[in-house]
Amino acid sequence: MRESARRSHVLVWLYVSFVLLFIYLPLLPPLVFSVATGEAGAPAFTLSRYAQMWRNPVLTSAIVTSLEVGGIVALIAPLLGLAAAMAIRELPTPRLILSLVLLPLFIPGVSAGLATALFFQLIGIPPSLVAIAIVQAVWALPFATIVILVAMTTFDPVYLEAAWMSGANRLRGFVDVELPLIRPGILGAATFSLILSFNETVRTSAVQGGHNTVQTYIWATYKQVGLSPTLYALMGLLIVLTLILVAAFLVVGARGRPGSG
Amino acid sequence: MARSIVLRAFLLLPIAFVAAFLLAPLGLTIAVSFWQRVGLSVRPAFVFISYLTFFDSVRFAVLTRSLLVSIEATVLSLFISYPIAYFLAFKTRPDATRLALLLFTTPFLVNYVIRAFAWTYLLGRTGPVNALLTSAGIVNRPLDWLLYSDFSVLVGLISSYMPFMIFPMWLSLAGIDRALIQASWLLGASPSRTFFSVTLPLSLPGVFAAAVFGFVSCFGESAIPVIMGGVGYQLMGNTITSAMDVLNYPLAAAMSTIVVLAMAVLLLGWYLVFDMRSFLGKVLNWRT
Amino acid sequence: MSTLSRPTRRDLMVLGAASGLSAAMTTLFATSARAGGTINFADIGVGDPDGNWSRYSKASGFNVNLVAIGNAPSAILNTLVAGGGTASYDVINIVGGMQKPLVDNNLIEVVDTAQLPNWAKDKNIGEFLGKGKPGFNFIGYQDKVYGVPTVLQGDSFAYLPEKTGNLDSYAALFDPKWKGYVALEDNYTTAGQKTALYLKHAKLAQITNPDDMTADEVKTVINFLIDQKKKGQFRVIWSSFQQAVDLIVNREVYVIDCWEPMVFVAKSKGVDAVYADPKEGYLLWAMAAYLTKNPNRSLETTKAAYQFLDFMLGGWYGAKITVLRGYMTNTDAPIYAKEHADEFPAGDAQKVADITANVRRKFAQGGTWQNRWPTQVDVYESEWARFKAA
Repeated sequence: MRESARRSHVLVWLYVSFVLLFIYLPLLPPLVFSVATGEAGAPAFTLSRYAQMWRNPVLTSAIVTSLEVGGIVALIAPLLGLAAAMAIRELPTPRLILSLVLLPLFIPGVSAGLATALFFQLIGIPPSLVAIAIVQAVWALPFATIVILVAMTTFDPVYLEAAWMSGANRLRGFVDVELPLIRPGILGAATFSLILSFNETVRTSAVQGGHNTVQTYIWATYKQVGLSPTLYALMGLLIVLTLILVAAFLVVGARGRPGSG
Repeated sequence: MARSIVLRAFLLLPIAFVAAFLLAPLGLTIAVSFWQRVGLSVRPAFVFISYLTFFDSVRFAVLTRSLLVSIEATVLSLFISYPIAYFLAFKTRPDATRLALLLFTTPFLVNYVIRAFAWTYLLGRTGPVNALLTSAGIVNRPLDWLLYSDFSVLVGLISSYMPFMIFPMWLSLAGIDRALIQASWLLGASPSRTFFSVTLPLSLPGVFAAAVFGFVSCFGESAIPVIMGGVGYQLMGNTITSAMDVLNYPLAAAMSTIVVLAMAVLLLGWYLVFDMRSFLGKVLNWRT
Repeated sequence: MSTLSRPTRRDLMVLGAASGLSAAMTTLFATSARAGGTINFADIGVGDPDGNWSRYSKASGFNVNLVAIGNAPSAILNTLVAGGGTASYDVINIVGGMQKPLVDNNLIEVVDTAQLPNWAKDKNIGEFLGKGKPGFNFIGYQDKVYGVPTVLQGDSFAYLPEKTGNLDSYAALFDPKWKGYVALEDNYTTAGQKTALYLKHAKLAQITNPDDMTADEVKTVINFLIDQKKKGQFRVIWSSFQQAVDLIVNREVYVIDCWEPMVFVAKSKGVDAVYADPKEGYLLWAMAAYLTKNPNRSLETTKAAYQFLDFMLGGWYGAKITVLRGYMTNTDAPIYAKEHADEFPAGDAQKVADITANVRRKFAQGGTWQNRWPTQVDVYESEWARFKAA
């Protein structure tokens, strides 16, 4: 009995490692390309690209734009998603509201971008950070909403009833009892919105006007002049930063565990 | 009194948002699909020529391919991701879960174009995977079908959208009341019986969410087909762009409208086949 | 009755919040910086001298804000018509030949070449792009000049001599010896036109003008390509610079229809790739910078824009772009690079001279001029879709 349990344990870990490998494998080439010169007759490795990328004004302004827009979208998409999830819950037409909120998923990006750009022209929204944030938030909204809805399905209303019976009103019941329990959902929605924003290209390029985001910049350059090593360096930086974040989490988690240290 | 008006306004905000910034562009797209091309521009009209052109041409095959590939990729992703979500929900220490989720999610902050090109490097004839296979003696010569094939497109799609599938399923699984599972054991059910009768049904909301995310993402994908696909491989996003390249806006709009319709039909099918309660379940129940 | 009371802490907070909010709003709603003089330059990536616009800025007092756009007609037109429109950009730098849709949709302006001192200095314009010559289609329309040529090039194909030996004809792309090791570009105006050029010279098809084929001629070319595809001749059809470079550098294919700069990149990575000199001739094309039609543009900005166009016809810009991207720019470039050894080291100056001489040779030899907007462009597109779906 113990033998098969241990075997299945090993199999499970093997499977998880394999999937992790699958996800992380495509991160290795950019890391390698960012430091390898690959050039005949030159030293094999160099860190110069990591410094070089800050000297490219187009790239640095694109980075700033991406961060600004990403921040805005990661803030408002989960909020709107929360409101949408609550609306599905409270209002009498849940399926209609869900369909409406899911609509942005159905429209191909290239058409959505063009039509939205024309529409913005009509109502007078200039191509700007707001325009980019709006198209990306519209795109992220269905993801955020569904994630929060799923989180809500795990929430047992009996807790709220207990809160009400203890004398809390609806708002306090929601804020003090439900919100903390669906917090993983809201954080997940925010993370998804950030990821979607960092990868969104087609809709953004239609409304960006004079701005570049990192994504639209990569899109244009890879097609016409090829990915430069500085772009790989940027991605390498991002990879290193997220790994540091993960490591930090690990350290904080280990210290916070009772009975450690 | 004031609070409930504020609450109502808050609830209606996302609907207003979508109505303002999506319905109008969508309406414009649908309208243009019926317009007439005149030289290099368009004239408002009500003709079906664009739709007829679409159904009569090779582009229709692109639509069926998009549907098939999206379903394939989604189903495969579900099977790959579910065990991971299960593992994260039940087999990891609670304090390690957040870390593990982070581990599975952060790689996707890296731009998908760069990740796709990384795959073409890895799977090429002279790439590391083929080098490994040939040096280990598993094959005699490099495998051609690893890249620029249906296989590589699936690899690209699955590896791009996995976190969107793992997370919702994890949310559902993590939220299952452990007491229910323990009750099942106490009543004498085997682990697999417990899984199929208790765990799986309770995790369905997450599975549906993952399926929606996966399918929609794959259907709208336009970069992976051209970066990793075989000769002339294209999905709906590519063929719409191609129509726009010759300023055939009505045709592009018609194809977009058809994509919206196709998705709407699938959504309707989902509503009819699955009782909304199995997805929203407790969420709707408590309104009483 | 109440006089202005001293502001309370609350007032200050509100004021601070209001000013912070309005500052934030200005940034959020800001279109790219226009105040104080900026030229908004939409470019497909080729025209970027690595952000170094200092020579232009010093001379004109205007900054340059470069925005990356795609080269596909849909990307350009969508950007100009919808995404900000002509108000967002002053100059766009794209592969020429699209004047018809741009002019017919009122998106670009006629350029007054008298205001461009460097126009007369560039011998390429007179020799290859003058009125009445086929090259005029890249900068003009209906006998008027709309664009300033920034880049000129003659395309053929690349190959790995270590695998194929010396190749001198487009027939190599369709040679069964390299089955599965050939790649074409996903573009009916380059790959399609080169195939037509080949078929015409090899007398395998009756084609009058490879640069403006009739519907039947297009179908013939596509049928040929579909036949080749079914035989497994092609590994992939590439659609981005990065993809083509990877195909060569990774030796994924041996013969590839592509652009010369890809060969330069491959060579720099130690791969022995050669850009062919086919006997059928080259696919000739040019990039042009156009002035967008914006009636609200100030006179000052228009003057600065003309200075900008002239700057791009100048020796420094031309030499810089040739060194960075590997394309020929203007005839002043090699002269400037040679004379300014402090800015262009000997190796770079030689590179500029070599590339300029080589491309001029290609133009002299001829071939076929790329036509981005053939008369039957709809047929081109739908037939190419048929090829891709086969």
